Amino acid sequence: MRNLLNFFLRYSAWFVFIFYVVLSCWLLFKKNPYQHHVYLTSANAVASGIYDVTSNITSYIGLRDINEDLQRRNAALESEVIMLRQQARRLNQTILQDSMRRLDSIGQYEFVIASVINNSVIRPYNYITIDKGSADGIGPEMGVMDQNGVVGVTNIVGTHHARIISLLNPNFRLSCKLRGNDAFGSLVWDGESPSEALLEELPKQVRFQQGDTIITSGYSAMFPEGIPVGTVLSSTRGEDDNFHTLRIKLLTDFTTLSTVKIISNRDIVEIKEVEADLPRVASGTTSTSKL
Amino acid sequence: MAKETIKFAFMFVALTLCQVVVFNHICLFSVAIPLVFIYFIVKLPVTLGISWVMTLSFVLGLTVDIMSNTQGMNALACTILAVTRLPVLHLYMPRHDAITNPEPSIRTLGPAIFMKYAVTLSAIYCTLFFTIEAFTFFNPMHMLLKIASSTLLTFIVIMAIDGFTTSRR
Repeated sequence: MRNLLNFFLRYSAWFVFIFYVVLSCWLLFKKNPYQHHVYLTSANAVASGIYDVTSNITSYIGLRDINEDLQRRNAALESEVIMLRQQARRLNQTILQDSMRRLDSIGQYEFVIASVINNSVIRPYNYITIDKGSADGIGPEMGVMDQNGVVGVTNIVGTHHARIISLLNPNFRLSCKLRGNDAFGSLVWDGESPSEALLEELPKQVRFQQGDTIITSGYSAMFPEGIPVGTVLSSTRGEDDNFHTLRIKLLTDFTTLSTVKIISNRDIVEIKEVEADLPRVASGTTSTSKL
Repeated sequence: MAKETIKFAFMFVALTLCQVVVFNHICLFSVAIPLVFIYFIVKLPVTLGISWVMTLSFVLGLTVDIMSNTQGMNALACTILAVTRLPVLHLYMPRHDAITNPEPSIRTLGPAIFMKYAVTLSAIYCTLFFTIEAFTFFNPMHMLLKIASSTLLTFIVIMAIDGFTTSRR
């Protein structure tokens, strides 16, 4: 007994060392970000408090660029509104006698505005922290966008703060398609540059040009259809000859992210219920439930 | 003793805050990241028990991990760094009894030994950290560049902090 006690005392440092190494490896290899505990992420009270204070100070720095972005987007939207209004007037005149009901696909979505209080772009797995949480109606797995395009998806939600899995995180795959074309692929970040990503599994027969816009497909219930994501830079043939892999220039500037919109889908509970009945079907084909 | 404890507690908080608020967002030439919070481990008194050094280092790494969403990366690297700290110091300073003040600094060790000590620890830490990070993306040339440049940057900032705090006293 005494020998055993001596043994433990003598090698106590080794036990302490092994204990800490095992503990940190256990944390390290919990790959799935949805299993992370709220206290061990930047959404906990202390970390988010600190980031609140610093973001209050630093949020003024990028305002000029953001303002310019907003102005540009505003101008584009305004001209689009004018164009659509003219089109609607013309259509209304021609189909006045028809009592066709139009489907309002955007009406099921609501937006919550939040400020980014912490953000990283240089890690292999990037996350964003925002200053809104479950008290503001945010839940896990809601889409996040800014004035330019898609940003990510909410992940760990605290009462007043939430952590977002950035688009710059290989754990997040986004279903996207080319504008004006219904063929879809899967957007994923390859870890190289914070302004570029890859669009994989795009069918080979799809025709596209450099500069074409990539938009969300609306197949995932987190994002409505048609939110801009990026533009095509170049294409590389994938390992499998039947698919294209496109290099995409992302529209969102992740290095100066400051204000984001969280998209909450009122029908998500219903969509989840419907999809739960189809466990074996791939996510792309479940979209029929929405049409 | 109490004064020392307060000093190190203050250093812990200050270095963690600096790391997560300022240094985590610096990425020179998109390769060099200063991992300055290891200055705390560099400065721990050499007379402190190894279990204490490991515990403090682990907690430090975990705190930085929590704040920067890196889940165990810094905690693992810090624990290993805590173990290699004393062997590295004895490598450059064979005579143990020559230490008058147990806290490593430019003044107590002399500039040459302290610089070698600090650069070795920075190199060990950057190598550990970027190797652990590379489990996810493997690009050997980029990783070596990251390790070398981050080591240099970390070392420079640590020397600056140490020179600043020592000359003030």
